[in-house]
Amino acid sequence: MTLELQKPRPIWQIMFSTHHTDVGLLYLISSLTFLFLGGSLALAIRAELFLPGSQIIADSMTFNRIFTVHGTTLIFLFIIPFASAVGNYYVPIMVRYKDMAYPKLNAIAFWMIPPAGVLIWLGFADFTWYATPPYSIISAPGPAADMWIFGLKILGISSVLGALNFVVTILKCKHPDMSIGQIPLLAWSFLSSSLIIIVAIPTFAAALLMLLTDRLGVSGFFNPAMGGDPIAYAHLFWFTFHPEVYVLVIPAIGMMYEIIPRFSRKPIYSYNSGIFAFVMLSLVGFSSWAHHMYATGMSFTEKTVFMVGTLAAVPASAMHVFNFVATMWNARIRFSTPMMWAVGGIALFFSAGAGGVVNSAMPLDFTTHDTYWVVGHFHLFVMGTIAFGSLGFLYYMFPYVTGRLYNETLGKIHFILAFIGTVLVFFTQHILGLYGMPRRIYDYPPIPEWIAMNQIASIGAMIIGTSMVIFLANMIYSAGKGKLADTDDPFGLGGKYYYPFEAKNPSH
Amino acid sequence: MKFLFGFLLIVAVLLALPAVDFVFAAGDEPGKYLDRRVVIWNLFYKMMTVAFTVGSVVSGTIIWQVWRFRESHPKAKPTSFEGTDW
Repeated sequence: MTLELQKPRPIWQIMFSTHHTDVGLLYLISSLTFLFLGGSLALAIRAELFLPGSQIIADSMTFNRIFTVHGTTLIFLFIIPFASAVGNYYVPIMVRYKDMAYPKLNAIAFWMIPPAGVLIWLGFADFTWYATPPYSIISAPGPAADMWIFGLKILGISSVLGALNFVVTILKCKHPDMSIGQIPLLAWSFLSSSLIIIVAIPTFAAALLMLLTDRLGVSGFFNPAMGGDPIAYAHLFWFTFHPEVYVLVIPAIGMMYEIIPRFSRKPIYSYNSGIFAFVMLSLVGFSSWAHHMYATGMSFTEKTVFMVGTLAAVPASAMHVFNFVATMWNARIRFSTPMMWAVGGIALFFSAGAGGVVNSAMPLDFTTHDTYWVVGHFHLFVMGTIAFGSLGFLYYMFPYVTGRLYNETLGKIHFILAFIGTVLVFFTQHILGLYGMPRRIYDYPPIPEWIAMNQIASIGAMIIGTSMVIFLANMIYSAGKGKLADTDDPFGLGGKYYYPFEAKNPSH
Repeated sequence: MKFLFGFLLIVAVLLALPAVDFVFAAGDEPGKYLDRRVVIWNLFYKMMTVAFTVGSVVSGTIIWQVWRFRESHPKAKPTSFEGTDW
């Protein structure tokens, strides 16, 4: 059993280690730091939108900078590194190997993240996480925009290196006695999402280079004044970032596949359908990118193809939900904190998916395009599904990492407040979108319905913020002073479930 | 099991039918979309009816499971896998 915090070591020993759990711990700490940084920007946005007119943010440019860095931080510096933290801890153990396939490469992939984060935060660009051209080429102030581009470039390389490592570890380093059809679904989720990264990211890497050379004035790929086409950038961007949605959500579902059977005290209902659904999601992720672009003048045929491609994700997603529901059937479920997050995550995953089906229907997409409906929809995914799965798993792995138990009551309060807050913010934002409020605006007219719904959303955000303070206090206090955990069975479920027979990978 | 598969089949049909309608509700001509506002909102309400129906069933099932299969429920009994290395 690897207990990171029970035997204190000099910090440099962890920082310069290439052992998978040390690198996992570094990913964990860095991703949680960025979670709080990005989350504090979200609170600033919601405080600003509490009422029409200027509240706490001086001008619209600053507001644009805040939501750009908020989105970039939480997607690239929290969600993806957090998944890498979980993968680093569990994948080698699950495939019964001593470490990741390339330990040094693993450490390098992590150490690319802090400089990238520094570039993004010191630059504080203002052109949205989409780097909207032609604004990003012609008018976006430098060096912020260039720092953002370089930051994203570094993060892309880090993601690809990490993904290659996971693929090789799972496919080539798994124990010879173990077939690919025997590795746990969490490891399968990492295999699926890593393959998506390897296929998808190079396209955006090329787009970033083209954006940079356009900004330098040596090319005009996306600059209409030089004969370029901003829509070409949209295709390149969404070819990467629609599949990237699945890169974010698939590991979170994999984490639920670890938690739900464990706390239901029975195996997953259908292991094979879980694998099938992961593979399906990985494939259809590439058949739906242009549904983000219905409003760009695509032909009817193109729109129809992408609409059907998008809807193809529904059966695979439904298979996961069905699998979870069937697993919990006739079980004896212990609702410890991780299980509460996982079950809450399933409910919100379903709601977010239902909203996605509406988005994918092209006539309706024109009604909701660039409104708060879209903001509510994707936040319900990233917060309600991905963050819920991730936070649940953080509680699940807490005894494994620290050797101590977190405070169960505080964990449950954290979940309840976060669930209420999430529903208040993001369900309300869907309705706000139907009332016509555009996204990415700093101020809005004093329409009573808009004011009321913005206030509900802002109050919800404050509730989430409060829950995160409780979470932080719980983590810090329990890591040092929490009760010692029975590391074979910290949740009292019976059996050994931290793969202890393989968890003795020596430090090196 | 048969009931569940039948139910899922009905849900699939309910989802597919409005999707076909949506395809033909959209035109190619720019500027025509606003003229079709009534049709689009009508489809939206149909879609929402399906979404809320399916959502209620799924959410209701999950809520009932949380209540019925919790370990403190009077009828809770150990699963056949407890105490084994599954």
